[in-house]
Formats: sequence, C-alpha cells, structure tokens
Amino acid sequence: MLITLLLVVGLLLLAAMLGGRFGPPHQFTLDFIGPLQSAVTRTFSGIVNLKNDYVALLNVRAENKQLQAQIDKYLTELGEYREGYSTYRHLQELLGLKDKLTFKPIAARVVGKEPAYWYQTIVVDRGKKDDILEGMIAFAPGGVVGQVMHTADNYSKILLANAPSSAIDAMVQKNRTRGILKGAGEKGFVLQYVLKTADVEVGDFIVTAGIGGVFPAGMPLGKISKIEKKQRGMFQEIEVEPHIDFQKLEYVLLDPTDRKAVLDSMNLSPAR
Amino acid sequence: MLVISFWAVGIVLIIAQTTLLEYLPLWLGRPDVVFVLVAFIAYRFAWIPGILLVFALSWVLDVVAGIYLGLYPLVCLLAFTALKTLTNKSPVKESTYQIPLVGLSYFLSQIFFYFVNSILLPDMLPEWSWPGALQRTVLVVLSAIPLFILFNRLYEYIQKRRLRGKPPRRRSQRAI
Repeated sequence: MLITLLLVVGLLLLAAMLGGRFGPPHQFTLDFIGPLQSAVTRTFSGIVNLKNDYVALLNVRAENKQLQAQIDKYLTELGEYREGYSTYRHLQELLGLKDKLTFKPIAARVVGKEPAYWYQTIVVDRGKKDDILEGMIAFAPGGVVGQVMHTADNYSKILLANAPSSAIDAMVQKNRTRGILKGAGEKGFVLQYVLKTADVEVGDFIVTAGIGGVFPAGMPLGKISKIEKKQRGMFQEIEVEPHIDFQKLEYVLLDPTDRKAVLDSMNLSPAR
Repeated sequence: MLVISFWAVGIVLIIAQTTLLEYLPLWLGRPDVVFVLVAFIAYRFAWIPGILLVFALSWVLDVVAGIYLGLYPLVCLLAFTALKTLTNKSPVKESTYQIPLVGLSYFLSQIFFYFVNSILLPDMLPEWSWPGALQRTVLVVLSAIPLFILFNRLYEYIQKRRLRGKPPRRRSQRAI
C-alpha cells in the first residue's frame, strides 16, 4: 500500500515537474484558494485602512502643508513635462509613427502574495473569464509589476519583476544604454551586461527596452541606486531601486492587448 | 477526521502565509509556516496519511505561489521522509529534539532547493546568502514553538473526541 502510494505521488510529481503545464487540477486549486485569499485580504486591508486613517488624522495638518508644497513643485514639473510631451508628439507626427497606446488596461485586485524569498509571486482576482492570458504584462502607475504566469478561470498568478527568475530587457533612459534587468528579491533589481565604458550614474532612470515584444519600450522600472566597477571583468555591477513598492501592491493593471497571440503566431513566445 | 482537520488547518495556514504575513515588516522576513506543519505531520502521523497530507498541502501552495511546478511538493515530501525516517523508533522523536530538527531540516531544504534550482534554472539562480538562510531558519524555529503547541492540542483534542465517540467493546461470552 505504501509503495503504491509513493509510486502514485512520485508519478504525479514527475508529471507536474516535467510537463510544467498549468492544467485543470492546478486551475481548480487556484480558483478554490483565490476567493478565500480575497476574503481575508479584503477584511484585513479594511481593518488596516481604518487604523491608518485614524493615525493619519493626528498628523493631517502638518501633512497638508507638506503636500501643498509638493503639489506646487509637481505642477511646475508637470508643466515642463507637458511641454516635453508636446514636443515629442510633434516630432513623432513628423516621423510618421503611429500612436501605439492602444491598450485599455484591466484593473485587478491583489488577493494573495507569496512572501517566500524564492518565489515573489502574487495572485490577482482576474482570470481567463476576463480574457487574461499567460504572458500578459502587469503594471501599475509607477511602472512594470511583472508578467502573468498561470491563469485559472477567475484568478491569475503573476511573477513579479523583482523575482530572482525574472529578467527584462532594459535601458538607461538618458542615453539608451541597454542591459538585462534581473530580479534580486527584496534588494530590487540588478542591471547586468552594461559595459564599464558606458555613461551611467546613480539616479539615472531605467526603463524597458522593448526588445522581444513582451514589454513595450519606455515603461519605468526604477532608478540606479549603486554602481560598482570592479577591476576584473568588462561590465559594471549596477543596483536598481524599483519604482514600484512590491510590498504594498494592492491593485495592478493588466495589458489585454493581443501581444501574446501575435507572439505565438510568430513563434516568439517567451519560454515559461 | 484527523487528516481532514489537519488539511483544513493547512489551508488556513496557506491563506495566512499568502495574505496576512505580508504585513510583517520587510526586514523581519516571513516564516514558512506550511513547512512547520509538514514537520509536525512527520512527527505525529503515520506514513500513508502523512504522505497524502503533505502532498495535498504542498501542492496547493505550489499552485498558489510556485514558479517551477512540482518543486515545492518535492522538497516537502523529502523533508517529510527524512524526518519520519529519522524519528521512527528513535529517541530523536522526543519533544526536546523536535523544534531543533525542524530548523535543521528547513535549513537543509533551502540548500536542496537552491541545488535543484541550480540544475533546472541555472540562468535564473537567485543570489545565495548564508545570513538570509539563517534568518529564515531562525524564523521557522521561532514560529514552530507556538504552532507545535497549537497543533499538539488540536491533535489530542481530535483523538480524545474520537475515542469518546467509539462505543465501549462488549466482553465476549467466553470472558464472562
């Protein structure tokens, strides 16, 4: 009996590992756990928000003044960015480029997060019924969040961009120097394969490079927080602080464009 | 009844681990409470219900959070087998050794996990950190203390109820 059980479990494990497919039993499990996670997250975040609101009231006056000053500063900056944007649009029209902002993102609530160091995944309350497909990108107003990894009918699992197994083609915004942005867990990101001769500084912004077609070019990823140039080797060691606070993610936006279908038809789907 | 009850406890722990524990401060890290339950199952359950429970629970966590499907159940089943073999008819089963053994098995599991990752996904290998691994082990050991008390109470409560529910055996005619 024990040997039979061990054989069955072993075969199931082997099938799961070798197949690597997110089949109906996996999808059923995710759809079973998702609502439970959603209920706990909603209840607990409600309590936390209530507590935070109360604490916030205590410092509201000082914070108001500080926020007003920040608004003034941001309005000035916004004016400059508007000017820059209109110049960009004008130049784009001149070049005859099409406006590529076609997607209408779908908002999804984060219902579960796996805190273990090895995983760095989240579960959101949107799935196949909402036309979510594996491979779609997830982002927040601050920038890239990650990529949809597995989908069930009503829930999906997203691999966060800071997961050790995540790698994104990225570039330094100011001079288009390219590299590979690897997840480094709680440390954020590490930008790899940037030559020592490249002009990069602490504080430079890193955005997606758009190579490979998964992430559109120019999505914010983070800014350089540390640069180390060792005597050996051709490349610099660059640490990048993410724009997104992965710890505090409550909602994400999912890009429902048919990017995956296009990639599949071209046989360019990223290996998962 | 015992298996179903502990399966339900496991599901509650998985939900807590993937929702509530996220609110712990980042510097503290998060304990793998499901692994603590796996160790408890190895100490208190027989082989067959133990394997069933460990596989069912680690499968759920793997689906909810795993990147390389099947790896977490494999690690949990190996930890279960190692603990079960080590503690079977051995003085190591005593409660004094239980918690330190949870820590040791978790520490070795992390090394095994890293080793398997280095074979399966060498390009996507996260940076190994001894202080990080030790910190996670300490967290698991600390969380194992209250959790083991809780699991033991639940286990004994269910056992007592089961015994109470059983009708007393009638003496046979011969004995009279």
